[in-house]
Amino acid sequence: MKRGIALVVLTILFAWQMASSYAIQRFPKPEFESGYITPETLVPNPRAEILEVMDVVVLLLALSVVTWAVLKRRSRNLVFWISVFSLAYFGFYREGCVCSIGAIQNVTLAMFSGSYIIPWTVLVFFMAPLVFTLAFGRTFCAGVCPFGAFQDLISWRPRKIGPQLNAVLGVIPYIYLALAVLYAATKTDFIICRYDPFVGIFRFDATFGMFLFAGILLLSGVFIARPYCRFLCPYGVLLNWISRFSRYHMTITPSVCIQCRLCEDSCPYEVIEKPVTVKNPETRQSIVRKFILIILMIPFFMLLGGWTGSQIHESLAMVNGKVRMANELLHPQKYQGEPESIEMAAFRTSGKPATEIYSEASRIIRQFYIGGWILGGFIGLTIGGLFAGRLTTKYRTDFEPNRGSCFSCNRCVDYCPIKS
Amino acid sequence: MKQRLIIIASVILLLTVIGYMVYDLFFTENDRNNNPYDYGLSELRKSDSTLIAYSEVQQFSTGLSDIYGITTDPMDRIYVAGANGLEIYSAEGNLVSKFPVQDTAYCITIAPDGMIVLGMEDHIEIMNPEGMIISRWKPESENSVLTGVAADETNVYVADAGEKIVYRYDLDGNLLNRIGEKDSLAGIPRFVIPSPYFDLGLGRDNELWVVNSGRHLFEAFRPDGSLISTWGKTSMGVEGFCGCCNPSNFAILSDGSFVTSEKGIERVKIYLPSGEFKSLVAAPDQFEEGTRGLDLAVDSKDRILLLDPWRNQVRIFVYIGDEDNE
Repeated sequence: MKRGIALVVLTILFAWQMASSYAIQRFPKPEFESGYITPETLVPNPRAEILEVMDVVVLLLALSVVTWAVLKRRSRNLVFWISVFSLAYFGFYREGCVCSIGAIQNVTLAMFSGSYIIPWTVLVFFMAPLVFTLAFGRTFCAGVCPFGAFQDLISWRPRKIGPQLNAVLGVIPYIYLALAVLYAATKTDFIICRYDPFVGIFRFDATFGMFLFAGILLLSGVFIARPYCRFLCPYGVLLNWISRFSRYHMTITPSVCIQCRLCEDSCPYEVIEKPVTVKNPETRQSIVRKFILIILMIPFFMLLGGWTGSQIHESLAMVNGKVRMANELLHPQKYQGEPESIEMAAFRTSGKPATEIYSEASRIIRQFYIGGWILGGFIGLTIGGLFAGRLTTKYRTDFEPNRGSCFSCNRCVDYCPIKS
Repeated sequence: MKQRLIIIASVILLLTVIGYMVYDLFFTENDRNNNPYDYGLSELRKSDSTLIAYSEVQQFSTGLSDIYGITTDPMDRIYVAGANGLEIYSAEGNLVSKFPVQDTAYCITIAPDGMIVLGMEDHIEIMNPEGMIISRWKPESENSVLTGVAADETNVYVADAGEKIVYRYDLDGNLLNRIGEKDSLAGIPRFVIPSPYFDLGLGRDNELWVVNSGRHLFEAFRPDGSLISTWGKTSMGVEGFCGCCNPSNFAILSDGSFVTSEKGIERVKIYLPSGEFKSLVAAPDQFEEGTRGLDLAVDSKDRILLLDPWRNQVRIFVYIGDEDNE
């Protein structure tokens, strides 16, 4: 029923969005043949500052209310309806931009480019969820992120994919984050925005390819709950790290776990960790051996990753438009018989010497060489950390959500018979 | 087993998405044949052939070097105005007579008394059917670009694309009033005319119809300049008008329906008197790309006469149901 109402709301929002598709672009430029003076071109005003302030206020309010709903009210229903609101406001009304996920790139660019001044609203959208997560866990994911809300709505038949596959696919967001930071830092591209599957839907203007892309992702989301959040979202990586240190993370039971196991299978994201009691304590020798293995393994993976990254840095750099153009200038025979790209035509007509683009491309490739080491090292660290996690055993007595991966959606809370 | 299959299929879908991202980012080159800044209208030029309700039954070439205006008289003779001349053809397309005209006539109409009213670049000329000039006068403005004329028993209406206004004169050339000036109280927003295509015509009740082409609207006025009604729809689809300024020309059929012509996406359409799209007369593929200034006239049999300046032809269209009677 609840999901049905939400889908009706969603349908209305879709219909509303469709109305904008009737806004017509005018084709050809007017022909002025009789001394007509072209009127000054009018451009739409940027979003009014007061509305930007409103967006920030709504973000902070939504974060506060959802945190209260998660931690104090312990209500799944309330979280659900806040997420529907967020989908409507941040998704369909604000058309998915600015979003905290994409803000990673703005922050990175601001750090690496002196000429880019990050708008304060973008900074708030980036920082506020992190601050809330540090204090209360990932309540942002629970009810404020429109992407998460969208996937939550269509997750009709969630199935468990198992811890092994979860762990392997869970590496992808780290790679995505590393690439997004690398490409933003080198002013190459904002790849998070480029492959954002939801914005095209929110704006109802996606190309066929992107609709297909989003459609396939959402189709998989019917059976694998929140696939983007779990296996793609780069911002989720940051939230995951920070949430591990959260002061007041949600708990399944409000007081004492009675080990009833009712919540055991309640989480569609498979983040409830079962009690691990000490039956046969590990020997000191075994612990030391594992510790040494981890100490050696992580730097090894980092070095291996870094070296691999440095070896493929030219391929990574080929995403950059200037590097690609330099390559095209350098190897014209490769493109023989093909029409000249518009970038190349623009460069040729600019009259600039080829050496200029070569030196620029060479500078960018050097950046990618360093970036390749860092990117590879980071991925190596992630994989090393994954193995280290497998080697170590964490003892716990109760059913607990994994603080890093838990979206604080409160589904499990409903299953807990202890209500106060 | 079924559970397992669902999981495997879902994971494959997810991996497909990731695979697409990797492929698109690292293994595809820019589509060199696709210019994202290209202003292509080819898709919009396609039209549904079932919407075409008219058939082209005849064309004939004119003897003028440049042609701009076409009209008919009650005997269905066809008048074509253009550079330095005016030609009169029979309904069958045979040349009946021709007169030289000083300068270029951009628009033409026949008054109820048979007088020929010509809109030259910067002045009006009234000729008798033998080609003798009866009167001529100039609008006040130096910026005038006259693009449309219409006349009834007592008035001559002149559309001035330069000044974006319609003048109402008596038959002696005395200015009676200006129509279409901005008047918020009367609900007249003013004409938006970005290019020299600004047509007008008289309806069945002698109401003056003017194309406010920049707004994609038809506006009807009383002789005193008060606004009666408007219709029009902006759309890239066949049912509306698009571009900077369309329709460029129009004529009115005996039942009050409008025949409109457009530039950019060259096409001729029929609209009901209420302004609803009815049918296509000619689709874009029946014109050379870039054709503009497709002036229109209708005769007593509701044949549609189209002036095609690109081909230098008069093209005649009849309703498909009437084709056999031709």
